[in-house]
Amino acid sequence: MLTEKGLWTRLLTRLIFTGPTLFAFATVMIIPFLYGIYLTFTNWDGIAIDQNFVGWDNYIGVFKDTVFWKSFGMTLEYVFITVVLTNAVAFLLAYAVTRGMKAQGWFRAGFFLPNLVGGIVLGFIWQFIFNQVLVFAGQKMNLTLFSTSWLADPDKAFWALIVVTVWQYAGYMMVIYIAGLMNVPKDVMEAASIDGASNRKMLARIVLPLMVPSFIVCIFLSLQRGFMVYDLNVSLTSGGPFKSTEMVSMHVYEQAFLARDYGLGQAEAFVLFILVAAITLLQVYFSKKLEVEA
Amino acid sequence: MKRERKWMKLSVLSLIIMLVLSACGGKAATESDSSSEGSSSESVKITMLNSKSEINSQLEQAAKDFHAENPNITLEIVPVGSGQSPFEKASALYASGSPTTMMMLDTGDVEKFKDRVLDLTSESWMKDAVENSTAATTFDGKNYAFPFSIEGYGFIYNQNVLDQAVGGTFDPNSVQTTVQLDELFQKIAATGKSPLIVSPMDWSLGAHYLGLAYGGQSADRAKVDQFITDLKAGQVDLASNAVFNGLLDTFDLMKTYNIDKASPLSGTYERGPEVLGKGEVGIWFQGNWAWPQISSFDTADGKYGFLPVPVSNNPDDFGNTQISAAVSKRILLDKEKSTPAQQEAAKKFLDWIVYNEKGQDFLVNQASIIPAFSNITLEPTNPLGKSISEYIKAGKIEESMSTLPADHWSKLGASMQKYLADVIDRAGLASEIQAYWSNVK
Repeated sequence: MLTEKGLWTRLLTRLIFTGPTLFAFATVMIIPFLYGIYLTFTNWDGIAIDQNFVGWDNYIGVFKDTVFWKSFGMTLEYVFITVVLTNAVAFLLAYAVTRGMKAQGWFRAGFFLPNLVGGIVLGFIWQFIFNQVLVFAGQKMNLTLFSTSWLADPDKAFWALIVVTVWQYAGYMMVIYIAGLMNVPKDVMEAASIDGASNRKMLARIVLPLMVPSFIVCIFLSLQRGFMVYDLNVSLTSGGPFKSTEMVSMHVYEQAFLARDYGLGQAEAFVLFILVAAITLLQVYFSKKLEVEA
Repeated sequence: MKRERKWMKLSVLSLIIMLVLSACGGKAATESDSSSEGSSSESVKITMLNSKSEINSQLEQAAKDFHAENPNITLEIVPVGSGQSPFEKASALYASGSPTTMMMLDTGDVEKFKDRVLDLTSESWMKDAVENSTAATTFDGKNYAFPFSIEGYGFIYNQNVLDQAVGGTFDPNSVQTTVQLDELFQKIAATGKSPLIVSPMDWSLGAHYLGLAYGGQSADRAKVDQFITDLKAGQVDLASNAVFNGLLDTFDLMKTYNIDKASPLSGTYERGPEVLGKGEVGIWFQGNWAWPQISSFDTADGKYGFLPVPVSNNPDDFGNTQISAAVSKRILLDKEKSTPAQQEAAKKFLDWIVYNEKGQDFLVNQASIIPAFSNITLEPTNPLGKSISEYIKAGKIEESMSTLPADHWSKLGASMQKYLADVIDRAGLASEIQAYWSNVK
């Protein structure tokens, strides 16, 4: 159809296929995004009729908001640990369930299952586990690590978030790694084994380099999910104890809706957007360079 | 062939355009429908945002009863999701251009909405509203909200446990100082039970417990307001403030006798009513809204009541015999998108609650609400509501701080949690509170 001549015909064709999507994309993504940027220059509180223009005040406010930067720092730490752990666990799981062991289909489904549960529900389930089940078990079996609730201690609550995040996302990343593992050419592996390469050597020299595209995707996904964590944060720790586990998304939300400073909250959201976009783009750019051809 | 394909394409395109246009036009059509409901004889549909999720089913029943008496008015209840703030929900509804006719909001929210809601100063229920119930929602001499419910809080006690501890019938008037409270705690501990449970939720510690430090400054509301103004201006030295220190002396006592002393922050709200109702502890710092949960564990035959939170060792000091109570929920009427007929219908519903027998029955008996109207003579049926009514009748009420900044409970609740878990000391707590107030907008 693209070969058809005439501007009108071609425009019409494009409009039929991309028009509805473009319309939806513009109304739910582009326009709200631009409107959001506009709001960062106002002192709107979320309900008032007047929106007073305040210039760059909100952006100056972002840099003055020490709590924002503190929670951003903590989010960075959280993202780093979860990205490493999620991908390590996911790769090991994928490696294990592609070895041809019994019932590996069931294992794959089982590891993937946590992904199907929404973050809020999952948070409440784990809250019960951390607050009741583990404490009960810890007290019965005299395990000091579990005898008090993890969620009542700032450091342990932070690790509780990490444990649940890894548990939730590892299965999803595992599926991508399985696809990557399946795509490693059998002939290359066969040739290597004929040449006498050990399993470990094949993994390090052939499998891992060939799976770089999978790693790029998985790290990108886990980075982005880590930065945007909100549902789990709210339902598992709700930022507590005493705001020590309040991740940056939650802080932004509270700034806009709880402190009723919509302009400042929106400005923080925009700064966060820029930072996360920069980090993920850099990650994709640099890891692309690691890709090899089979 | 080619011609046919072109025709198909055109028809698909026009179908898409029609769909889009009809989606956009749908709203305009319904709006013109609602504006045609001018005369009162025609049916009117009104909506109400309900932020008291625990009374949702009762409210829906009330809407049916109201409809039965006013067949031309249909009332639909829109609940606010649990965990969502009513302010957030209401502002989202305004942002989407579809606010409810009536909105049930917290006292502190009213001022933000005052440009968008009706002035209710000339409503007939104004003369029957109890003293001070509309003061916090009156701006420039105009009242913008209907006082829906009074709620109060303090130490809830389990009569069974306390009777056992004092060896007889426990008299709530016997505890009016911190020392007397200490003695009571010791007596409960002697029976082998835990004296009390401190629930570590930030709203409970920040908005309710810490709120006593402001409201307890003086019986005179103007002086309390002045205290808040001074706090904002950084002119208060909390560390040397008598009420603040007295309140924290009591809090130290609570920390010592807390059943969850080993891990004070691990408790959840649900644990409070369970241990109190089962009689594992004698006292819980909470409010009358907890009654439904307590009653589901009740082992004290429904015998519960409130004790004030003492702030000194002089029983005559303000706060030692008062419990905190105030109008907590308000109903506002939208004036932007609601038609005059809808506004009249909403006003009629408010009148129905205050003056109709069935409306009063709904408010007091069904929803267990302590009404803010003096003409309603029905008595609350649950022990906690009864206890608060008795304090109100005796004039032993301290105004709750219902107009604190919106993030006060969250930020200073976190500071109180730190104090509860011994992460900061009293000087640290005082400085965090002062720092919050000097930064608040």
